[in-house]
Amino acid sequence: MSGPTSAPRRLAFALWIHGAAALLALFCGFPLLWMLITSLKPDPEILTAEPVFWPSRLQLDAYLRLFEQTNFAVYFVNSVKVAGAATLLTILVATLAAYAVTRFRFPGRELVAGTMLFTYMFAPIMIVVPFYIMVRSAGLMNTHTGLVLSYTSFSLPFSMWLLRSFFRSIPLELEEAAMIDGASRPQAVARIVVPLALPGVIAVSIFTFIVAWNDYLFARVLISSDRLKTLPVGMSDLYNATVTDWGMMMAGGVVITIPALVFFVLVQRWLIAGWGAGAVKG
Amino acid sequence: MASAPGIAAAERAASAAWRDRPLRERRVPEWAWGVLLLVPAFALVAALILYPVVYSFWLSLHNKHAYLPVQTFVGLDHFVFFLTRDFDGFWRSLWLGTIYAVGSVALQTVVGVAAALVLNETFFGRTFVRGLLLFPYMVPIIVVVILMRWVLNDSYGVVPWLLRTVGLGAPGFFTGEMMMLTLILISTWTFFPFVLIGVLARLQTIDPELYAAAAIDGAGPIRRFLHVTLPQIAGVLFVLVLLRVMFMFTKFDIIWLLTGGGGVGWFVRTLPVYTFMKTFQELQVGAGACLSVIMFLLLSGFAVLYFKIFKARAEEGQ
Repeated sequence: MSGPTSAPRRLAFALWIHGAAALLALFCGFPLLWMLITSLKPDPEILTAEPVFWPSRLQLDAYLRLFEQTNFAVYFVNSVKVAGAATLLTILVATLAAYAVTRFRFPGRELVAGTMLFTYMFAPIMIVVPFYIMVRSAGLMNTHTGLVLSYTSFSLPFSMWLLRSFFRSIPLELEEAAMIDGASRPQAVARIVVPLALPGVIAVSIFTFIVAWNDYLFARVLISSDRLKTLPVGMSDLYNATVTDWGMMMAGGVVITIPALVFFVLVQRWLIAGWGAGAVKG
Repeated sequence: MASAPGIAAAERAASAAWRDRPLRERRVPEWAWGVLLLVPAFALVAALILYPVVYSFWLSLHNKHAYLPVQTFVGLDHFVFFLTRDFDGFWRSLWLGTIYAVGSVALQTVVGVAAALVLNETFFGRTFVRGLLLFPYMVPIIVVVILMRWVLNDSYGVVPWLLRTVGLGAPGFFTGEMMMLTLILISTWTFFPFVLIGVLARLQTIDPELYAAAAIDGAGPIRRFLHVTLPQIAGVLFVLVLLRVMFMFTKFDIIWLLTGGGGVGWFVRTLPVYTFMKTFQELQVGAGACLSVIMFLLLSGFAVLYFKIFKARAEEGQ
């Protein structure tokens, strides 16, 4: 777009851009590709002074070790449960709240909405100390409930804010027309408002899921029992437990990354729109 | 309970009557519905975020053990201790946190803007490369840390091997003096896409005629960047840097997972790490809460500024 105009200079510019793009792609892509290759290599080709870029053959031994000799599968199921529950709860509560602040007028509405946005600035480390004492007093230590609640409350403010901007863009007349045709208000919302705001709902789900899937701090502090650990804590304990089995660690890395990646590819378009609106944190 | 069917019938009748009225004349006032729907969200945020912040102010005035039921009021003793005597702990962590925040945000900004400028041009495989460049941000931190420990490993890592092969020599990425730089480099790799996306979105809305005019005036690429692009992205860049500084200053997991606080962790013991160690290793909840409060106060200035900008934008934009 901002390229030069004469033909030779345009060619040089194109070469330069392609070179820069390739370099950036290598910078971001290579470590991830290396993780994948390491996880699929035969063991003797992992710990070598000179890296083996082309494994003599590909094998799944590291993945088998991961699932058979460790509790990785348990951590994985726990992570799916916790992230799934937090996502569902956030969608439900944030949708109601966003609908409330876009469709009704009531005293204190802007104050409440503004206060919730302000909490976006609170980092987990600033909350975790009092949160730990509270969770313990409530008898929720070592439960997934404590984790789900913390992830939900952390994702809520921005989820609500993002959904608010989607709801605002849906004209009130559409709902009123549906209601004149005999639909109740909840029906009108379910059939007209939610489908139109679907990209927002999806962006919110991804955002919450990734917050919960990636969190280490709360899971470390609130969970001590091995069979309740989520992936980040379980994985870090595996790493620290013994002499590092690099093949297995890389296999674990691949498995943990895949759900986040799949989600990301599916909704890249909406996520980037949401990113612009500020729905990403960390 | 005996009259449940009767109640149900009455409710049905009432809801039919409700439906027959026009939208604006219903019995339950509109605003009450708004309040009702907002209650769950607000209750969660108030109970699980706002209240803990208030509670940490309260805790910071006490000596409290993490497990034992010991709690005594000590007033501002913790604050006085950290601010006037704890030079190796608190002040050092504040200094290291500042180096980390400033260093990594500077690098994230440079790489992010450069990548955005490249992605704003047309080239072969652009969609693919764009996806790839966002990817590090999506990788869970635990994976980033383990992966980088492997890639940068002194004996078997591919990056030290490459550096040795081209004759530069490998620096020992996980030794004391290198630790901060290694941490900054890893953080840049992970978090620069945040800057990239924000800048790219803005670049795509710049009027191409501005560049055409600059080209007619004979401006080269560098002058075009300085005089056309930079003024246009300055606003969004300011907000992005503000956010990044706040996020990096309170970053805990990547630092902790990389070093575990002890050993070489000493070289990257920032304020969040120090807070965690005070609370969960030394088990001094009151002192830990005091550090949380200090962090909160340090960040409020940034937060208020961001909040003002955001509100102003939201009101004009949507």
